[in-house]
Amino acid sequence: MNVMGENFETDFWKEVNDRATWDMIVPGELRETRPVTLTKQIIQDFARKVGEDNPLYFDEDYAKSTPYGGIVAPPSIHILLMFACTTSKDWMRSPGTINAGQNWYYNAPIRPDDTITMRGTALDKFIKKDRLFAVHENLFTNQHGQVVCTGRGQTIRPV
Amino acid sequence: MNAQENYEKIQTGDVVEGRPFTVTTDTIQDFGDASLDYNPLHFDPNWMEKNDFGGTSFNGVIMHGMQNFALITRTLTDWLVPRGGYHRRLETRWIKPVKLGDTITPEAKVIRKNPTDGGLWVQFDIIVKNQQGEPVATGQALAEFRDTIPA
Repeated sequence: MNVMGENFETDFWKEVNDRATWDMIVPGELRETRPVTLTKQIIQDFARKVGEDNPLYFDEDYAKSTPYGGIVAPPSIHILLMFACTTSKDWMRSPGTINAGQNWYYNAPIRPDDTITMRGTALDKFIKKDRLFAVHENLFTNQHGQVVCTGRGQTIRPV
Repeated sequence: MNAQENYEKIQTGDVVEGRPFTVTTDTIQDFGDASLDYNPLHFDPNWMEKNDFGGTSFNGVIMHGMQNFALITRTLTDWLVPRGGYHRRLETRWIKPVKLGDTITPEAKVIRKNPTDGGLWVQFDIIVKNQQGEPVATGQALAEFRDTIPA
């Protein structure tokens, strides 16, 4: 079972025709997103399933003894947020989307029960040799309006 | 110990060895369930056999590229947290697809220390290699040594 529960549509072929192709992606246009609340359960399920076992994510007493002052999410939790905060029609779900690499900057840690909002666009698109690329740009903020992390990446778009 | 003292203990040339990670259908399922990324690239061997991606045939499912990212993050944070460092940035490129049965190992190396007006920074070079010693991902990372965690 995925970390967000059974309501998440795991068949990426459904709605395939509702998603923007490379030709339809307009750099700068906002992608449709929704806020997501990350419970301790979601954070810890995510951590376990990506191979994290640091007590900072699991052991409240240990986490309180560190400068973090309590359990936090692993910085890589944006891997989940990118899909959790977008809709089933988002082009990042198109079968055959190939990730080519990403860069992320971390401002403040995410803590249990934080509600995270995503602002996402395609910043740019280009063709290199015969491959169609999109550059995506994401900004995640918490319920206090504080930036938690920002990231940018490139995907090769399916043809 | 304060941030300055922690920072002084970090040496250019320090190497952080990550733990080896072997890719199985279970690890791919776990990563899909964690990331919500159910792209058939990672789950549908039949589709992967017949699909050629503009001339690149993968002959089977491939690991999520972001699994590299998560393992590099683990390598850095497990090393930084007890040393008082805060993981600030990670930039990655995927060099080679990772397949079922491959064992990959991340490594980070301190290449430079950059104190600025406002902070104490450490740069890392990152490489993830497979069991043949071939790079599958490369990158750079940045950590900051601070007395408090940004809140």
